[in-house]
Amino acid sequence: MARRKKITYEYSHDGVKQSVLRYAKGVRQPEGWAEQMAERVAKVTDKWIADKDLVTEDDLREVIIAELERLNEDVAFAYRNHDKII
Amino acid sequence: MSDLLSIATIALAGIVQASLQLSLGGLVLLYHSSMGRHRRRKTRYLAKSYIWGALTISFLAACAGAFLIERLFKGAVAREAVFVISGILLASAVVMWLLYYRRGRQTTQTWLPKSLTRYITRRANGTSDNIEAFSLGMLSAFVELPLTIAIYAVVANCLVTTTQPFIALGVYLAVVAIPMVTLKLRIKTGRNVAEIQRWRIRNKAFVRIISGTGFAVLAAFILTYWGL
Repeated sequence: MARRKKITYEYSHDGVKQSVLRYAKGVRQPEGWAEQMAERVAKVTDKWIADKDLVTEDDLREVIIAELERLNEDVAFAYRNHDKII
Repeated sequence: MSDLLSIATIALAGIVQASLQLSLGGLVLLYHSSMGRHRRRKTRYLAKSYIWGALTISFLAACAGAFLIERLFKGAVAREAVFVISGILLASAVVMWLLYYRRGRQTTQTWLPKSLTRYITRRANGTSDNIEAFSLGMLSAFVELPLTIAIYAVVANCLVTTTQPFIALGVYLAVVAIPMVTLKLRIKTGRNVAEIQRWRIRNKAFVRIISGTGFAVLAAFILTYWGL
């Protein structure tokens, strides 16, 4: 996965899962549902990234947000707007 | 100026300061990142420390201002200084109306440089003990100093001229704390950060107008009572 300033990272299923889990808990989703949601999103991103050699962080973010919008609007909103609060 | 008028001026100054969004935004960020990582009880303690940190800066700035006014002006600010303070308040009103929020629909980002907001966001994400939360609260109140410095001058002058400085200071700090305490209560009664942030986005134009008008009214008020 490529981030800004051309630093590349290895994609990780757990990384996506933990990130979604943190946002889900941050908007007070029940723990079990937050885990389920994080796992589902991570599976979707696994599938999406499988046939790609290099993706940007923003692309991955959009895939995560699209899936979260189907599952829970509050978590999707928090994921999309976390860096636009102040 | 009577005590009642001093306390009313301080309350107005407190309302104007309370309408600024950085301390509140920092608290929203802290809640969001802390609830994703810690138990609710710990988050509550962090939020409390943050609020105390923000209030500490207000308290120290008001007291330091009062000390300076007492030393420099021997009692109350000179007329020339009143004109300067009014000018800064009017300029702040214009900044609030035109420049305070960055453009964009889904955002409550303020005028602060991006590097600074990124730093505060990073600090909020990494805050895990009360001292860090306290210093984050102090930082968030401190970086809004360009807009709040004239407010502190007004509060300081009221503290010097009133015969009830402790009551006046208490009123000021209580008013400044209202938005942060309200946010804390909203979270406690079951709201989540996304709902609160959506509310902030929906009402940002209203907040901007009220805040800018508050600055202008405060400027006119002190010009009328202290300057003329």
